Amino acid sequence: MREKLFLKGNEVIAEAAINACCRFYAGYPITPQNEIPEYMSHRMEEVRGVFIQAESELAAINMVYGASAAGARAMTSSSSPGISLKQEAISYLAGAELPAVIVNIQRGGPGLGNISGSQADYLQAVKGGGHGDYKLLVYAPYNLQEMWDLTMLAFDKADEYRNPVMILGDGVIGQMMEPFFPTPYVKPDLPEKDWSLTGCKGREPRVIKSLYMGEGELERRNQIFQEKYLTMKEIEVRYESVDVDDSEIIIVAFGIAARIALSSVRRLRREGLKVGLFRPITLFPFPEKKLSVLAEENRRFITIEMNAGQMVEDVRLAINGKSEVMFYGRPGGAIFTPEEIYEKIKTVY
Amino acid sequence: MATELRLKELSKKEELFTHGHRLCAGCGAPIIVKMVLLASEYPVIACSSTGCLEVSSCISEYTAWKIPWIHSAFENAAATIAGVESMYKALKKKGRADKEIKFVTFCGDGGTYDIGLQSLSGAMERGHDMLYICYDNGAYMNTGIQRSSATPLGADTTTSPAGSVVPGKLQQRKDLTKIMAAHNIPYAAQASPSHWLDLMKKVRKALKIKGPKFMNILSPCNRGWRSRTDDAIMLSRLAVQTCYWPLYEVEDGVTRITFKPKEKKPIVDFLKPQGRFKHLFNPENEWIIKKFQEMTDKEWELLLKSS
Repeated sequence: MREKLFLKGNEVIAEAAINACCRFYAGYPITPQNEIPEYMSHRMEEVRGVFIQAESELAAINMVYGASAAGARAMTSSSSPGISLKQEAISYLAGAELPAVIVNIQRGGPGLGNISGSQADYLQAVKGGGHGDYKLLVYAPYNLQEMWDLTMLAFDKADEYRNPVMILGDGVIGQMMEPFFPTPYVKPDLPEKDWSLTGCKGREPRVIKSLYMGEGELERRNQIFQEKYLTMKEIEVRYESVDVDDSEIIIVAFGIAARIALSSVRRLRREGLKVGLFRPITLFPFPEKKLSVLAEENRRFITIEMNAGQMVEDVRLAINGKSEVMFYGRPGGAIFTPEEIYEKIKTVY
Repeated sequence: MATELRLKELSKKEELFTHGHRLCAGCGAPIIVKMVLLASEYPVIACSSTGCLEVSSCISEYTAWKIPWIHSAFENAAATIAGVESMYKALKKKGRADKEIKFVTFCGDGGTYDIGLQSLSGAMERGHDMLYICYDNGAYMNTGIQRSSATPLGADTTTSPAGSVVPGKLQQRKDLTKIMAAHNIPYAAQASPSHWLDLMKKVRKALKIKGPKFMNILSPCNRGWRSRTDDAIMLSRLAVQTCYWPLYEVEDGVTRITFKPKEKKPIVDFLKPQGRFKHLFNPENEWIIKKFQEMTDKEWELLLKSS
């Protein structure tokens, strides 16, 4: 193991991408993710990669589309309003089955909102976001170690499934600093990109597109996509559970909300209250099976999110009436304290 | 009755962009907004795209604007004000409004040269009765000094960092004023807060003309230009005197230079006081200063010929 590094969350993502052999980055300024393009602007130069500051978010994501079609490991990053602008091309990436990593360092919304950390883009990230029936693989890191590990994994999974992958962070985790172990990147055995557009001299030309006008053609394409998403649901689910086995109340939270809730869980445990934490790491695919199993025993759930109640819909679907599911949230870029969650659990315990 | 464009008279007029805004000390943007609003002889409805001016003038429940003002997003100030203007035109047609109101945008270079160019071009071509003002400080200052297509050659920004391999921004800035003039709009002009009378005369003239108008106004930013906080007017004057930022207008296709420096100063006079160009004075980067001078000379010659 190499020595620990001490970086800012956004820089961790950028360096992890470089480490995972990403050599194409296109971005556009928006707070609170500016450290990613700023870091990439000099770091890409050092590794002889490509850094482009586009004239808009639309241009940046479409550059990623082009680079990915040419076979590059490509990434873009933005924050909530910018991610909204990118949605059309994200749908195109999914429709053309092009791998890409898209980072959303969420801020408060709707509209211009604020630049505080938020989790209000959950539904946009996991239910598609743009038009058409498609899914992104969505990772929700809750500390900088996960920012590092999941960013590298995101590139592998994007290539493996030929699908865009999203890192769903937020302004708090993007801006904070803490030490982490820069685990080395080991490239898995991935198939050759035998679909990429690299010049057709000496071989048959290849086609990458999302337009299928023939009778039944698009439906068949969509069925293939759905099978892909089903496979993800079977094998890509990641979560972490803390003290859930004997718990009477399970807090369900992701990303920075889970990090805050963990402090509350520890304090409640010290006082003898049987409270646990269930933390989805993949938001799509959602760990619905595990939640369903947990709901079979006599316990209650409370979903804690920095929004007005988004993941709670998926928690309720997973639990399907078997247990009570409560919700506590702070929308609009408001951040709860561990004390606040502690008090909330005490009142419902 | 119109106020005469004399300091004594103007000082008696109410300022419509007031204290309480959170723009940095020494920022060019509020100076420009005040000059424009003082110059107007009509009531103004303004619009800004996302940027320093926008975030700093409407913090929480407060606003520094004493006029109706609208913001929607980063890429669409021209479209937003075009909607307001069209609505007002419709109200007038129906006889529900009769006041002569002027529609003005104040947007930074990121929201104008880059992400906002599409909506600006569309609004100009459709011919809305509006004045689009760009306060050009030459980078995305609000998000932390990232390069824009208005950033001058060689400038050090957080996404065009000057180092041992790359000497700052490698591209020349876009000539937006000419791009807008090429839309064949009735009025396009370039101004600088250092030449306040020229700026105000241009605003006054633009607002009298029906149809789409555009003004590009240089707006020094000490944070991004890495200059002293009290140098805004000095630097904008040097930009004019070195012909980096010539003052001219294009009215119905006719170009007129409104200020010709008696003695054209070398471009280093403009570059030297700014930290963003500091690295250009290292011997290995001399070629950039040379290129900068050549470009400036060439553009000035072209402008002289076209006027």
